[in-house]
Amino acid sequence: MIEVKDLTFSYGKDKQVLHGLNFTVGDGEIFGFLGPNGSGKSTTQKILTGILKGHGGCATLFGQDISRVHTQDFFQRIGVLFEFPYLYANLSAIDNLKYFSSFYPAKRLRDIGEILEKLEFKMDFSKKPVSSYSKGMRQRVSMARSLINNPELLFLDEPTSGLDPSGAVLFRRIIEEERKKGTTVFLTTHNMLDADLLCDRVAFITNGTIAALDTPKRLKEQNSSHLVLIEYLYQGIRKEKEIETANLEGGIPFPHDEIISIHSREPSLEDMFIQYTGRGLC
Amino acid sequence: MWKNFCSLLKKDFQIMVDGKFFLISLGSLILYTLFINFGYIRFVNDRLYNVYLYDPCGAFEQADKLIHPVESMEELNAALSTDTNGVGIDASLGVPEIILYVGKEKVDHHRADYALSLLQPGGKYTARITGTNTKELKQRKEMCCELLFIEIVAVGFLGIASVLFKEKQMGVIRVHGVLPLEMSLFLLSKMTIFLLSDLIFAALMAVLNIGPWVTAGILPAVLLQTAILSLLMALTGLGCAMLLNDFRQFSLAYLVIAFFVSVPVFFSANTSVKMAWIDWHPFYQIYMGLKNACFGTPVINPAYYIRCVCGIIFLFLIVQAAFRREMGKEG
Repeated sequence: MIEVKDLTFSYGKDKQVLHGLNFTVGDGEIFGFLGPNGSGKSTTQKILTGILKGHGGCATLFGQDISRVHTQDFFQRIGVLFEFPYLYANLSAIDNLKYFSSFYPAKRLRDIGEILEKLEFKMDFSKKPVSSYSKGMRQRVSMARSLINNPELLFLDEPTSGLDPSGAVLFRRIIEEERKKGTTVFLTTHNMLDADLLCDRVAFITNGTIAALDTPKRLKEQNSSHLVLIEYLYQGIRKEKEIETANLEGGIPFPHDEIISIHSREPSLEDMFIQYTGRGLC
Repeated sequence: MWKNFCSLLKKDFQIMVDGKFFLISLGSLILYTLFINFGYIRFVNDRLYNVYLYDPCGAFEQADKLIHPVESMEELNAALSTDTNGVGIDASLGVPEIILYVGKEKVDHHRADYALSLLQPGGKYTARITGTNTKELKQRKEMCCELLFIEIVAVGFLGIASVLFKEKQMGVIRVHGVLPLEMSLFLLSKMTIFLLSDLIFAALMAVLNIGPWVTAGILPAVLLQTAILSLLMALTGLGCAMLLNDFRQFSLAYLVIAFFVSVPVFFSANTSVKMAWIDWHPFYQIYMGLKNACFGTPVINPAYYIRCVCGIIFLFLIVQAAFRREMGKEG
């Protein structure tokens, strides 16, 4: 679906933000693009969606070079959720969606009411102006806008930003459902939980270069110390011990009266990110 | 494409209604009409400068009523020291001698000629009258043209920029970059709606203040000049709104542009002061085009229209480039 080779981009003469990115995204894959602010995530997305011109290297979408692909037909096939919920504040959710959907052919369109319902939008607000909505509600309308044309390729930039935990769970479920229908998802985020739970593969981007690219599981495994932390009681005293998982094959290899808990010490995706890029996500 | 254009028009119309743009335009129309009909026509007379005459011999007893007679040279000097724009005539020797505070040479000649013309009203200074404009109709046409120019240059320009700033602040401009939509339509819809609004405004202004029968004869030419001015100002407004970061910056630019566009134009067109470079001022040409259209002598020089079309295309390309830049902005 997406193939990127040696992609470079500069804002002006001096500010190069992408330094030769290489990655592919397969059909029906959820691909996570992870990085801190200013790392080049949004720039990459803007190049792929045709908003930014003047890149170096080459990239193909739907099997066509991006310099030729950004036609009206292409925009009918993609959906884009921006980092911020860009909506007409004076119009209602319904009017916003009616307006944005008016640019797509009728055969591509989903039912506005149905999609809002699926996103658990409070329907009593549907005719009130967007200016009266909470951030979570605006994000739901934005998500509905990006899905309204049944996209084959979905670009999502921080989709769960501004949502409460239950809203984030709902969004993850909807993204998963879209993938099951065959939609390819290009997820730009610095939310490690989203990436870990949703993505088939993730790329860590920092300072315009990809520091690592693999499945979240493999990235964690490759760097796992295979340690477990055991909390136990021995002679009335609460103690903790970290041991290699290989040493557990013959049972707990130290004297104890009672085991309180056993936790694996595998690294999180965030630990991996810091390890690969040398910086945290902020 | 037509469907997309209609969607954009509908949305822009909605934003303008919500922004009370049409209400403001209607208010302007009422205010201008009241001013022309109940202010300008009634109370503006021919008095350009005050003229004071000291004529102890009574040599100029037929002088115009607009002249202020004085009894002594002291009184004449006192009047001129308080009214420095005034013109004094000392006729104590039977021959008029002009006394005035020296200003700009051409203006001084104009003031002197005006003062002398009042000494012999209805005499050899009376010009042969051509055309069908009465004095009142001439005044109506002049003021209608000036107010129409101000409305489009200042009010319309501000209106279009405020609409675009709203969209810029809401971030929705960026969404249009990923819609199956020809980007130029986004700009064309705004230009169209402002053009229609200005054309309707111009037609109503002319009908209400010049009269429907006279308007019928000059309307096509007036609308053509209005359209040229409207498109140029709409594109200038769009360009400023795209390139400037916030409304505060825009307000400053607005003052500079509105000042640059209107002040030298009005100064040159309506006073005896004419700057040497004014013929190079693009809006002076358009203002004169509008004025000539109001007076039934529309511009027929093709070079003028070619220059206008080139200007519109040039501005459109700049605005389009600024639009792309706005969508691709960092962050």
